[in-house]
Amino acid sequence: MPDERSGPSRVESRGSLLDAVRGVKWPTLRPVAGAMPGAHHSRLRGAAPELSEYRAYRQGDEPRRIDWRLLARSDRAYIRLAEDRSIVPTIMVVDATASMAFPSDSLAKWRLACDVAIGLAAIAHTARDPVGLIIAGGRGVRHLPPRTRRGIVGELVRALEATRPEGTARITSALVGVRYRSRIAIVSDFLGDAAEVRRRAGEIAAAGGEVHAIHIVADEELDPPARAVLAVDPEDDSIARPFVGDARAAYLTSFAAWRTAVAAAWRGDGLTYTQAVTAEPPSRVVRRVAGAGVGAAARARVEAR
Amino acid sequence: MTLAAPLFLLAAGLVALATVAAHLLAWRRPSAVPLPTARFAPERPARVVSRAVRPTDLALLAFRVALVMLVGIALARPTFTSARQGTARVVVVDRSRSAGDGFAVAESARAVFRPGDAVVVFDSIASEIPDAMVDAITPMRAGDSTSRARGSLSAGLVVAVRAAERLSRERDSVEIVVVSPVTADEIDAATGVVRARWAGPVRVIRPTLAPADTAAASRVAVRAPSNDPVAAALSLVGPVVGGSDVRVVRDETTVDDSAWVRTGGTLVVWPADPDAHGWSRRVARDTAFAVASSIGLVGYTRFDEGAAVVAPFERVAVPPGEGVVARWSDGEVAAADHALGDGCIRSIGVVVPVAGDLALTSAFRQFARRMVSSCNAPTVLARVADSVVARVLLTAPRRGDVPSPTASDTSPGPGSRLVPWLLGAALVLAVLELFVRRGESHAAA
Repeated sequence: MPDERSGPSRVESRGSLLDAVRGVKWPTLRPVAGAMPGAHHSRLRGAAPELSEYRAYRQGDEPRRIDWRLLARSDRAYIRLAEDRSIVPTIMVVDATASMAFPSDSLAKWRLACDVAIGLAAIAHTARDPVGLIIAGGRGVRHLPPRTRRGIVGELVRALEATRPEGTARITSALVGVRYRSRIAIVSDFLGDAAEVRRRAGEIAAAGGEVHAIHIVADEELDPPARAVLAVDPEDDSIARPFVGDARAAYLTSFAAWRTAVAAAWRGDGLTYTQAVTAEPPSRVVRRVAGAGVGAAARARVEAR
Repeated sequence: MTLAAPLFLLAAGLVALATVAAHLLAWRRPSAVPLPTARFAPERPARVVSRAVRPTDLALLAFRVALVMLVGIALARPTFTSARQGTARVVVVDRSRSAGDGFAVAESARAVFRPGDAVVVFDSIASEIPDAMVDAITPMRAGDSTSRARGSLSAGLVVAVRAAERLSRERDSVEIVVVSPVTADEIDAATGVVRARWAGPVRVIRPTLAPADTAAASRVAVRAPSNDPVAAALSLVGPVVGGSDVRVVRDETTVDDSAWVRTGGTLVVWPADPDAHGWSRRVARDTAFAVASSIGLVGYTRFDEGAAVVAPFERVAVPPGEGVVARWSDGEVAAADHALGDGCIRSIGVVVPVAGDLALTSAFRQFARRMVSSCNAPTVLARVADSVVARVLLTAPRRGDVPSPTASDTSPGPGSRLVPWLLGAALVLAVLELFVRRGESHAAA
């Protein structure tokens, strides 16, 4: 897909994006419970060939795991521990409603959402995680189940390029049926059913899943035109507000307060929240999202010990 | 076209300009742009004031400007008058008894009348002849040789001033021409006041009085004892109008006197000894009496058709009669006439003292002259002096003396009749403007 964006920060083709995120790790926030071998730390300690540590035998431990050689040398019973690594299904949930088709000429919000989703999918796929896609738009919800096959990222790219954001949709309904022990990245402007989405995300997180909220914000939304205009919500024509007098200042104040409240609400529920502005290169957004997982994974390992 | 209040038209023009300016600053919806986060802007009416290069709502603007201008023109009270040109006259023609047979007055009036002038005729009442022409000025009504009505110059002047004010709207100058002998009984206290209402010139043409004014006079017959004071006074009076038909009796009346009265004579019973006639005397003496009729004051000038005498007279009650000739100062009848046949008997209850020269005084002689006038003699109408006429009629009032315009002066002229039509049209436009505004509001919605 040709990149029509202008400006030095936006000149980043799809290929350069993938190059930019190559080597980026996106670990899970906590050890996963999966048994399939993968790149993520598993909560299972077992018979993996890679020794992690020894621990004194306690009553109830399986006698098979006692290191007999060590017992023979030191006359002490230790069990051998090894870290398991597992995979985690990663699903990109992309908001394709009309509010994402903004600005109407460049579709910067939609393009950024697609780039971030593809970047994160590429990182996850590099870690051999199954990658899937859910597109919630005016024409319904499109599912691409998580797969680990080689061309899955390309399928995601084609699916997103074939989609034009329009209409209204409930992202909450797109999250129905998502496996709880998955990693979900919701890329949206959260101007729809944001509260319900957050509630559903909390349920997924409580069940062992992992939810990342990537909040797409357009430059034009942060800096609306100063001239007198009548701003109309593309998803609801009945919302038409004139930007005259002090309306712009009131808008900026109200919008900033709302973004702060949304971020606080997501983080308060133990979920990760990242705000992405269209002026920002997608690769940087991807790194910020993945970086949140790196820090959290390190903390989780320390806590596990 | 002239405007009574042009400032209203100026104000209407300013309001119309403001209306056009208001249409250049029209409320309109600003251009709509999509903004997904529009919900965070405050809710306000989606209209803003913006300047337009061309006035918006041209039909509405036209209605409003027309409405404002119509109201302004109506309040300015336009009048459409033809150009004033020439002079005009209001010819006031006397048709009262003072004009005699009226031929002289009519001729004088015809001489001054010009087409376009107004003609007012008056005797005791006055009226204007509509669309007067010179033929309308006739001496008298057909079959009526003489008008017996007393003339009232005040009534004539009231109508004349009204006609003059009307003509003054069309002509450069208007003159009131009074064609009348102007006798004393035609002038009253209101004449000068009415004249003062007209600031323009007044000219008086005084034709010669009717021949009846100069009826033949002769001495009256007096039957009295010797050294009678009344006889002496009458001998000094000289001839009086209709004196041949008058007999003054100072002693007792006879049957012959009654028969003479029935043939048309005037018997003046003025007894030197009232007791002999059975007339009762008053004990107290009176000081003054006067001829009751035709005494008046014009301004401060006394014009005298009667007489007043001040002296210690002895009062006698006279028999009642149909006409009072003289009264005492308290209003009691001093002399009265009662008809008998074709003539009349005049009873005079004034005892004239024999002693003294009261009977020879000018005042008493004047009184005696009035007492011996014939019942049937034509009325002698005295022309007032020219100085009185000049003071009453010819003197233009000072500017401050002209009273403020009356309601009739401010009555709407021909052009002012447009005002209700203009206001009606404005009302219609207001209703139409309402419908147009509603229609455009629905279209905008």
